[in-house]
Amino acid sequence: MNEENTEEVKVLEAQIEQLQAEVAQLQRQQQNNHKDMTFNFSGQMQEALLYLCGQSVVRTKEEVVSRLEEEVKEMEEDLKRQTQMNGINLNSCTTKTLQSGDSQLIQKFCVSGYCSELNFLVEFQLTEFKNQRCQREISDLNVVMDATDLKSFNGFLLNVEEHNDHLLFFRTLRTFSDRCDDRSRTFQHLQDKYPSIVSLPGGCRSEIMTLNHPQLPGCVLFIHWSVDVSSEGRVTPKINLLTKIPERVLQLFPSQTVGGAAKFFQSLLRILGPEAALESVIRAICP
Amino acid sequence: MEGLSSKGVLSHLSVLAVQTKSRRNPPQQSTRVKELKAEAEALMMRREQLKAEIQTHKSLQRMRLSMDKGEEEMDEDSENSQLLQLMAKHSQLKDLLYAHHLIGGYDIIKTSLGKGVCVSVTTAYEGVYLDTYNLEIDLKPVLRITRHNVPPFIPLNELAEQNNIQTNIKAFLDVLSQHLNAHAGRKQQLKLVKERFPSVDVMESNVLCSILVLMFTVPRQKTAVLCTLNYSDHTRCLPTTVHIQCEGRTVSTDNQGPPSTVYNPRLCVMSMLSIRTLKHNKFKCPSFIY
Repeated sequence: MNEENTEEVKVLEAQIEQLQAEVAQLQRQQQNNHKDMTFNFSGQMQEALLYLCGQSVVRTKEEVVSRLEEEVKEMEEDLKRQTQMNGINLNSCTTKTLQSGDSQLIQKFCVSGYCSELNFLVEFQLTEFKNQRCQREISDLNVVMDATDLKSFNGFLLNVEEHNDHLLFFRTLRTFSDRCDDRSRTFQHLQDKYPSIVSLPGGCRSEIMTLNHPQLPGCVLFIHWSVDVSSEGRVTPKINLLTKIPERVLQLFPSQTVGGAAKFFQSLLRILGPEAALESVIRAICP
Repeated sequence: MEGLSSKGVLSHLSVLAVQTKSRRNPPQQSTRVKELKAEAEALMMRREQLKAEIQTHKSLQRMRLSMDKGEEEMDEDSENSQLLQLMAKHSQLKDLLYAHHLIGGYDIIKTSLGKGVCVSVTTAYEGVYLDTYNLEIDLKPVLRITRHNVPPFIPLNELAEQNNIQTNIKAFLDVLSQHLNAHAGRKQQLKLVKERFPSVDVMESNVLCSILVLMFTVPRQKTAVLCTLNYSDHTRCLPTTVHIQCEGRTVSTDNQGPPSTVYNPRLCVMSMLSIRTLKHNKFKCPSFIY
């Protein structure tokens, strides 16, 4: 009988060793999965997880579902408020955990969204130092935006990436987007109001508006409205009037009138503001 | 008779002894077996639990990925798919809200039954999160700031008036954020200068960090250079004018203009280099300036 027991013990011990190895391997797998896409299992999420893994004895499925639904609804409303106040729409945010220890937590975020018509994809690494007063730092900032008409933005983007100034990026993006929206709104409004004179060769989101004199096809006025962004993040709209008038027409008009048009426009701009100034020019062409 | 019974007793005793011995040993072994069996069962349960957790995580991951792409979820037949979708949605919302916070959002919270709000303005410089400022704003009957921890040298009320806080809270907050971030940036730069270059003397600075006077000594020539940085635009963390004095001569540069002169404390060296002309090329720009 002793021998049989020894056999059984050996078999069991071997089985246990095997199981321990399996459990360790599963734990490693779980940790890797968690690092790959980090979920926050706390509160109602933890209850739900416990239920799904057959661990919950306290809650029924209905309870778990209804509590989660309630939280989801609250968060959806909260998200609407944040989106409205921050002026930025976020489509997705994925989290990877690179390192999780006692002294620091390092995570990598990939955030995508848009601000009015401008799409962005921003990646950065966030390090949280657990000992020092909740110090947080961003590094490895990488910003990707649609290339169209953002040449003025590129210098700023390079600077922002170099210095990891992610908050500056989003502040400036909002301001830049607002100024671009002002321009596109004004262009669209003027085209709708004076369709025979105003044309937008690049669309209402472009920088150029052309004014054609209905009776003088060769004479064109170009409005170049650019929104410049300095590498420091200062957003400056600039509107210039350029004339394209054939030589022989110029000869018919005193040079000051035409040549001074650009300067005159700048004064108008200062006094009336962009929309009114542009409208005055249009009215001057075709009263 | 006695011999027989004593033999009987002896043999009886020895049978008893064997019985006792055999009774003692198997209990030891069966306890051990019981222990091992219990341990094995516990491990098996743990294994199954881990497998279930990993499976759940995988399903959630899959759902999150398609949710993030904006794809419509196909109705799966599994009995828990509704719960899993709910969990995926929950996690997505939580991440999005955290992202709003991380990118400098105002973290607006409703208070007093909707009659007020609480906002936070986050500041950061070069990736380092700095102070956060909070404001409590009453919305009714009239919009006004009730409590805040914005320092007094930031003209809060002026900014509120100038930016029509009554009609446009967002514009006001954007401007306030600009001021606070610029200040935080200047303050942080000063802190970094003190930390990294202890040989540089900070002769003067103010709470707003809008004026900074630094004194440093050129290593080899032992000449003292006085550098005054003026930040007259409080929405910027770069100086608008820089005066450099060395042995009675002054060089100053103006940075009122727009982008053409990219000014950066790092590029303060540019103005430092201009001192070369004063010292007939013998002056070597101190490596301190970044």
